[in-house]
Amino acid sequence: MQQHHQGPAPAREVGVPAQPAASGRETRSGGGTPAPPARRTTVPDPAWLSPALLVLGLGLWVLALPAIDFRTMDDYGLLDRLPAAFYAALLVLTAGFLMALRRAGTSPGWPLAYCVALLVALKAPPAVLYDSVRYPWASKHDAVVDTILGVGELRPSAALSGNMSAYDQWPGFFTLNAALVRAFGVEGATDYLNWAPIVLGLIALPVLVLIYRTFAEDWRLVWTAVWIFQLANWVGQDYLAPQGLAYILHLTVLAVVLRHFVRPGSAGRLRDRAYLDPAATAVPPPTDLRQRAICVVIISPVIFAINAVHQLTPIMLCAALFVLALTRRYRNYGLLVVAGLLMLTWNLTMGRPLFLETLGTLRDSIGRLTENSRAGYAGQLTGPGPELAGRAGIAMALFVVVLAGIAVFGRRRLTRSALPLLLVSIAPVPLFAVNDYGGEMLFRVYLFGLPGAAFFAAAALVPATAGAHRSRGGRALRRTAAIALPFSLVVLTAGFLPAYYGKEAMYYTPPAETQLVTRAIDQLPEGGLLLATAGSFPQALHRYDEVEHWFFAEQELPENEKMLADPARYLAEGIPPGAKARVVLTRTQDIYTAGEGLLPPGGFAVLRDRLKASPLFRTVEEHPYGIVLVYTPASTETSATSGGAS
Amino acid sequence: MNMTQNRIRGVVAVSGWVAFAATLLPGGSPLRWLPVLLFVCLGPGLALLHPQRQGLRPGARLEAFALAAPISLSLASLAATFLFLVEGFSVTAFLVPLAAFSTAVAFLPGLPLPAATRGAVEPEGAGSFRFRKRGPGGGR
Repeated sequence: MQQHHQGPAPAREVGVPAQPAASGRETRSGGGTPAPPARRTTVPDPAWLSPALLVLGLGLWVLALPAIDFRTMDDYGLLDRLPAAFYAALLVLTAGFLMALRRAGTSPGWPLAYCVALLVALKAPPAVLYDSVRYPWASKHDAVVDTILGVGELRPSAALSGNMSAYDQWPGFFTLNAALVRAFGVEGATDYLNWAPIVLGLIALPVLVLIYRTFAEDWRLVWTAVWIFQLANWVGQDYLAPQGLAYILHLTVLAVVLRHFVRPGSAGRLRDRAYLDPAATAVPPPTDLRQRAICVVIISPVIFAINAVHQLTPIMLCAALFVLALTRRYRNYGLLVVAGLLMLTWNLTMGRPLFLETLGTLRDSIGRLTENSRAGYAGQLTGPGPELAGRAGIAMALFVVVLAGIAVFGRRRLTRSALPLLLVSIAPVPLFAVNDYGGEMLFRVYLFGLPGAAFFAAAALVPATAGAHRSRGGRALRRTAAIALPFSLVVLTAGFLPAYYGKEAMYYTPPAETQLVTRAIDQLPEGGLLLATAGSFPQALHRYDEVEHWFFAEQELPENEKMLADPARYLAEGIPPGAKARVVLTRTQDIYTAGEGLLPPGGFAVLRDRLKASPLFRTVEEHPYGIVLVYTPASTETSATSGGAS
Repeated sequence: MNMTQNRIRGVVAVSGWVAFAATLLPGGSPLRWLPVLLFVCLGPGLALLHPQRQGLRPGARLEAFALAAPISLSLASLAATFLFLVEGFSVTAFLVPLAAFSTAVAFLPGLPLPAATRGAVEPEGAGSFRFRKRGPGGGR
């Protein structure tokens, strides 16, 4: 990259860059006059520093990679396996980003380069290092792609075990990947699956910039918001999954709406620079009915694709469009109707079976706020790593929300002009009252609220200082910001690592374990039954269209404690008569059921030992990383005749 | 329309065919998956958004760049879903219509998003990632 600064760079204040009273735009609109230079604490700011720190940060990161011993992960996941160079790389990138921010107005390319570098540094290690799929449940998506390619059609009405037909009812993401697998000429989506967070992050980045730029003219605010978004995006929804793509499409629709659907006659004062926050962008010019109609036609395929890809995101989109329609600025009922009709059409055609089933369960789930907002199936996070990850995630969310709250109440003018962004971020919260979405609703609501939260959190850390240097209060604000911004970014980085990598031992599975599961399932006949504690292990859904599944520990802990008293009998009673069944218990399931609190400490070992000892089950394969048992009901009868099954 | 714009048009117009041709290469080769990935992620969207009679306004450059991938992936996803629904999926059936679509729309005027035609949001010169000489705007 090349900078146009040829002469010596001006010295600047540490942390937050100088913000003279009148930007170019302000001057153009006559809103102010250039201010005299203020007395500042100075640090050298040579032009070569941004590229140098970027190279140094990425260099440290590359050096750190081979030293990450992911195969021996223990209680703290990847956290205590990351070498000092990795942490140093993140600190250097943060420092470089802060330096780059100071030139953000003239060289927005450097903050962009740093944001891309942060994305890679934070999320690429598993993609570069792992020899297997990260997130065991991601392999389910590979299984879906594989099945779609195998049968060559979609079967939305097939009643497959474990609600797997839902993937054929919202198949857009899987058909896209099926097409990519064939066009790439690779064996399956597993070949590129671990790179999904990087690809999706790169696609999301300019969309976020577009949204933030709609509300902020100050590039420092825009890039800080993008940086915070990346750090606060620890929820792991950006893997190779439908929600990752649907989320980007959702943000895309919002970006177009926020920029092109302003109604005539609205937001008059919000185009007056004298009334606006100095960092804010004036509200976009209004569009007439014809222009908005054209925009609806343009974004309809994107809305349609959201419906084809994911079942929850269209609801989030409709909620966002609904709250926007409550404002005078974005009262576009036509768009809301189009989005609603597309959602309804999909739900009543392709998605009909699951849609009707979900409607049937709404009566039970509606209004159960605490249960709908809990994370995961049932248990409490257990063990040092998972507990730390859980606490870090909550602390991060609170930190971002508190920062955002400071800006929302402290920068009222910015809040007024960026109110639509605030509203669309709050819009998904009422969904807590409707459904728990399999223990996922908390993460989804957080994710959909994050763009606005990150923007306002950035606004708290990058204050508008137009004219502030003239007053004592303004100087204090600048000094506070100079410390608060780097401090907050470091705190968020420190929070991201445990939140994202603290449970990593659950997410990495050695290839041998995956092969064991594949073998066990391959040996089941069509219509056979696979039993496992939980579905979070690689290849769990291999041949899901031919084999039934029972993940018997995915229930409340007290139920599991009862099950552990006599697991063989418990399972035998649940297996349909005549079924050919196999139990697969693996190391990943052990870590998952312990970490998520589904089984009590030591419960998995008890389960394995009791099943091994039971005449109802026969061990067919046993390794340190897993065991496969066959259900042998005939031996029950034999044992009962000869004096007793255990 | 200047030479650069024509060149961009030309590249977008042929990108799908290049991607399709790349599928003849051995499976998994970067020379195969890279053009396919770039085309599926960007081709149709850029073809739809980029060709404007007077080039893209500064504010619309960012918009065209940001929206190209989501629009492209939406179209690719809908195309693939349709093909599987009618049991007609093949790489050819997937890539050729997308390539033909991109070629056709690359030679038509771009989508009339207001920002593309009148620079709705960004002030002149503010929407580009390209480096500019430092003005009086400080860090903005």
